[in-house]
Amino acid sequence: MKRIIFLTAILSVSITLFSGCQDTVNSMQNTPSSMKLEPVNASCYSTDDFCRDRLKILGMNKSVTPGGSMQIQVVIRSERYGFWSELWSGIMGDNPYYVNYKFDWLDQNGMKVNTANSAWMTAIFIPGETKFISSVAPSDKCKDFLLQLKEADSK
Amino acid sequence: MKKTLFISSSAIFSLLLLCGCGSSAKRIDPSGDQGLVTTGDINTRDWQDVSTRCVNSLIASGALNRADGRKSVIMISSIKNSTDRAVNTGLLTNKIRQSILASGKALTTTAVGAKGAEDKATRQVRDLENDDIFNARTVAKRGTVIAPDMSLSGEIIKAETRDGRKIEANYMFHVVMTDLNTGLAVWEDTFEITKQETKSIF
Repeated sequence: MKRIIFLTAILSVSITLFSGCQDTVNSMQNTPSSMKLEPVNASCYSTDDFCRDRLKILGMNKSVTPGGSMQIQVVIRSERYGFWSELWSGIMGDNPYYVNYKFDWLDQNGMKVNTANSAWMTAIFIPGETKFISSVAPSDKCKDFLLQLKEADSK
Repeated sequence: MKKTLFISSSAIFSLLLLCGCGSSAKRIDPSGDQGLVTTGDINTRDWQDVSTRCVNSLIASGALNRADGRKSVIMISSIKNSTDRAVNTGLLTNKIRQSILASGKALTTTAVGAKGAEDKATRQVRDLENDDIFNARTVAKRGTVIAPDMSLSGEIIKAETRDGRKIEANYMFHVVMTDLNTGLAVWEDTFEITKQETKSIF
């Protein structure tokens, strides 16, 4: 009996230490904010519950660059913090969390514009980290876009 | 004894089968995320990553816009390779020039480049003016080729660090757009890619 209690205690301490060793990001921001944002209304189609629960879209905004092109910026935070999330990502080797994303730009007729900036890019998230991913319209004719996100291997 | 021999030979046979198994060649999406990643080289995905970020930065900067409304003409100059590997920098410059043209904000020229004309035909056709088999009126005239306003150049640098079996390679892509009238850099940016690998003991 004593042996079982001892082993359980050792296991619990090991798990706690293991998960406690992960670095998470803490953040602070000035309030009230002086930013004048132009939010983008978006419809989402999610096929991956894991990705949906592990990332939080904090905002999707647009602006016009000095070059006159439309720019989209998406603010994403990794929600993979907390005891169980950190424990699981530690066991699975998913810390940091790799996410691939791709912007496709469409012209006024809904046709995809082929350009060098329509390729899968990688964003690497530490638990709790906020990332700003952005893309610039390849030409002034592009006003619509499609953003795709997916979990990725750590490579 | 026989049992041990049987188990050993089965294990060896299984291992040989396992090691010998490969996969047949297949096509992958060149703009996808399935490409190979190695620390020793600049891989396809790295070129894509850098060209995407480069194009985003260049278009967003407004450096291609001109006050007189005319489109800037850009020549592709040299991208210096300061890595220890042979690199075809056209993998980067071709995507940038394609995106510049697609943006509609500037034009690129092939009549001049870092090592002479990229397309020698511009000069060659003008030499036909004295060739009597050609109608002289249809030959491109001298003095009509438009000189570039800007030049795109850069450098690729590699820094490698080793710590035991761990290797870290850092590739730095520095790209500059120079106004050829003034010699001033109107846009420049640096894009970094860092890769880490732990070599196996065997």
